[in-house]
Amino acid sequence: MEKQSGKPRVGLFATCLVDLSRPQVGFAALRLLEDAGCSVEVPLDQTCCGQPAFNSGATGQAAELARQLIRQFEPFDHVVVPSGSCAAMIKVHYVEALADDPAWLPRAEALAAKTWELMSFLVDVRGYRPTGLVLETTATYHDSCSGLRELGISRQPRDLLAAVEGLELRPLPGNDVCCGFGGTFCVKYAAISNAIVGEKAAAVEATGARLLLGGDLGCLMNTAGKLSREGSSVRAMHAAEVIAGMGKGPAIGEEG
Amino acid sequence: MQAAGSSFKSRAGAALADATLKSAIDRTAGNAETKRAAAVGEFPQFDEARKLGRRIKDHVIVHLEHYLIEFERNALRSGAKVHWARTSEEASRIVVEICRSAGAKRVTRSKSMLGEEIGLPHALEAAGIERVETDLAEHIVQLAGETPSHIVWPAMHKTREQVASLFNEKHASPPASESIPDLVHSARQDLRQKFLTADVGISGANFLIADTGAVCTVTNEGNAELTTTPPRIHIVTAGIEKLVPSIDHAFALLRLLVRSATGGDFTQYTTFHCGPKRPGDADGPEEFHIVLVDNGRTRMLAEGLAAMLRCIRCGACMNHCVVYRQIGGHAYGATYPGPMGSVLTPAIDGLANSRDLPNACTLNGKCAEVCPVEIPLPTLLRGWRDRSWKEGLEPLTVRTGIGIWAYFARHPFFYRLATAVAVHWMRLFRKGGWIAWMPLAGGWTQHRDFPAPQRATFIAAYKAMRKGAPNDNGT
Amino acid sequence: MTTAREQILQAVRDASGRGEHTADSVEQILRESEMLLDGIDICRPALRLIDIVDSFMARVSGPKVGASIDRIASLSQLPTAVARYLAANAKPAAITLQPTSPLLGLDWVAAGVTPVRDRDDGVVVGLARWGIAETGSIVVHSAPDMPILHNFLCSTHIVAVPTQRILRHLEDYAEAARIAGDPAPRNACLITGASGTTDIEGSLVKGAHGPRELCVILVDGVVQV
Repeated sequence: MEKQSGKPRVGLFATCLVDLSRPQVGFAALRLLEDAGCSVEVPLDQTCCGQPAFNSGATGQAAELARQLIRQFEPFDHVVVPSGSCAAMIKVHYVEALADDPAWLPRAEALAAKTWELMSFLVDVRGYRPTGLVLETTATYHDSCSGLRELGISRQPRDLLAAVEGLELRPLPGNDVCCGFGGTFCVKYAAISNAIVGEKAAAVEATGARLLLGGDLGCLMNTAGKLSREGSSVRAMHAAEVIAGMGKGPAIGEEG
Repeated sequence: MQAAGSSFKSRAGAALADATLKSAIDRTAGNAETKRAAAVGEFPQFDEARKLGRRIKDHVIVHLEHYLIEFERNALRSGAKVHWARTSEEASRIVVEICRSAGAKRVTRSKSMLGEEIGLPHALEAAGIERVETDLAEHIVQLAGETPSHIVWPAMHKTREQVASLFNEKHASPPASESIPDLVHSARQDLRQKFLTADVGISGANFLIADTGAVCTVTNEGNAELTTTPPRIHIVTAGIEKLVPSIDHAFALLRLLVRSATGGDFTQYTTFHCGPKRPGDADGPEEFHIVLVDNGRTRMLAEGLAAMLRCIRCGACMNHCVVYRQIGGHAYGATYPGPMGSVLTPAIDGLANSRDLPNACTLNGKCAEVCPVEIPLPTLLRGWRDRSWKEGLEPLTVRTGIGIWAYFARHPFFYRLATAVAVHWMRLFRKGGWIAWMPLAGGWTQHRDFPAPQRATFIAAYKAMRKGAPNDNGT
Repeated sequence: MTTAREQILQAVRDASGRGEHTADSVEQILRESEMLLDGIDICRPALRLIDIVDSFMARVSGPKVGASIDRIASLSQLPTAVARYLAANAKPAAITLQPTSPLLGLDWVAAGVTPVRDRDDGVVVGLARWGIAETGSIVVHSAPDMPILHNFLCSTHIVAVPTQRILRHLEDYAEAARIAGDPAPRNACLITGASGTTDIEGSLVKGAHGPRELCVILVDGVVQV
């Protein structure tokens, strides 16, 4: 694809969870990035950022995946990721995974400098504000931990959601408290994870909002899965879907 | 310490099933969380203060040898006796020896986590010396025959109702009611005479002041002073990381410690103990012993855990930890629970005995956010996972799972095939949009539903879309 | 055989990868440690009020310390102030005095207060060396005329503190104590409220082991401490 003049060339890293279980989020990201004036490419050989290996202590395997992703994405002006935790893996932790590799460390640092979580990229880099959006519902927002604490994402999604007409955003008590997902934690320590997400689901339910929004598919699947098991009617979506005008489509766990 | 043989998961499981425990933890930790937030909110200098706190501790750790020698010299000058202990056994032995040679029958103890770490309660009992815990929470824990479940609130796991029934059973004059003031009064009555008739008083140290040789203790109850003043002998046990250059540096750290621990601004009683009773003094012990304990700290220094030696034991990390809040302190099976404990325990007890602890964490970062000395707890916990993996301590299922997945992830062609198959296969188990059960996913589906994947992976759908519309600006 | 002391120090030395300290390096460490505290003002709470005595009083009587506060023009008025406090709080007018001459020399009987010998759980009246505005603390040092236990065994703790000896910050006490003499006293206690505990369900109860209430009385004019 030729580079269109003036448009930044963005590589979209969809993340393995979006790829496997909710492509809709990837398409929402595509639409938003293009709408924000970017020329977007999706490297077709992308797989996973390596976070599950890194957080399991398999640093060597994480480093191999880091090298692969760096190779795939370093040609772009920006790398954009619709997930705070995967973006943080690339932006914060690749340099740790490759700390002992002098040949790759500078490349990891260079990639880190141009990697962004989607909503932060839209607001902080592109100054993007969606127009003409209408979604009549009540929603609440859960701040996923990596995005919040490692990348400082808190205001950006709220700014974007504020542009959606008819959307009432209700505060979620404990919005910055972990939902208990934690990647492989949720299956390695399933009982503890369940207790944590049980409280999160109850807090979401108690807001009375119809829709749970967030910026990380892992946390959303965890909380939505718990809400579903508890028989709740609260729906869940990635915030990018609502901001891309796909908020009327099927939510997580709804057939589309 | 927990009974040998019980695993972290079984202890955690038992804790999760205990609704009373959960409400006890939430009452105290919830209170602490709210009060800390208020105290930090009223202290706009907090961010600068914690940077300073971190710099002070780092400075001391870098120059630890100098400060140990300086402290020892000044402590000796004040008339203290200074002992050095490499291990917990050595430390306990030194304390027991001092008690024995003084013919001590009863010792009072003011709460010290280091005392717990070195197994002092057990060592004193084994030596046939009566041990009286004077901190209210430690008193509760002692009466119940338990161990502390929190480093600031050792009896956090007990509700007022449970404390009331314990005091009814064990106190000579039982509490008038289940109200908390009546419970406190009952303990006051029970402990008062014991303070005055002890032969030895044992305390820990919140700080060791290098330039005077003084030991700083902080309590809200005043039990440290009541423990250390009447007996003939005062023994301090302290980790070697407790040093600060001067009382001014201690004050800078106290501002952080108190707010982070209890949400107060300053403890009710902050006391500097320097040497034994002086000639003519109205009261005070005739002998003052300080036992400086290593017990793994120099190894932490050598093995990349120096940042953990900054810890001032405020307990904020556990109060804010989603895992601790669910399972409480005892499930960790170690002296120090919560995030800080999960970093310390492998260093003290060995990683092979504690590999679950650094793994049982979502790495959500809240602990590091509230730490008053900026310890990167998630990074240190991940460091232990790295080591556990390298040493082959991770279970075969995890190693195999990560290995297979990483193989596919490194081979995009096979990865595409595998994910296509996986999507197809997972959709076989769906009912509507949800999967309530599928093989190999019990950890997830036992507790929650799994959203059925959409029809194709993102990459496959994207490729299909591009084929249909070569001009890919058309979304 | 090396001792535990040598082994620990050697292990510290090995871990830090440095040699023995020289006189120069010790000088350097001292300088560094002092420099850490440069600019301490941005790391400590500012006083709420301009006047340090007002700040101290507000702090002592505020919710965090929760003590009573009174102010008198001279030490000779202390017996009356104590009598007033005891009457207002329905306490028996029997007190144990800290055995220090400025207090022993006052006319207590004229104020209707009876000094008694050490009484467990009674009222103790003492004289503090300093007050600290930042925290609302009063400071006592162990001495022949200051039994430390006095401050802990009573139920009602009344402490006089000279207004002239109210210090701004904790560090100002550190400086004052250094000037007051070396060696440091066996015990320096910063007392900031009555004995309290939150050990049961995090709920605050006063009178855990020591005083149930604290009353601080500021004394204007010249007081020998």
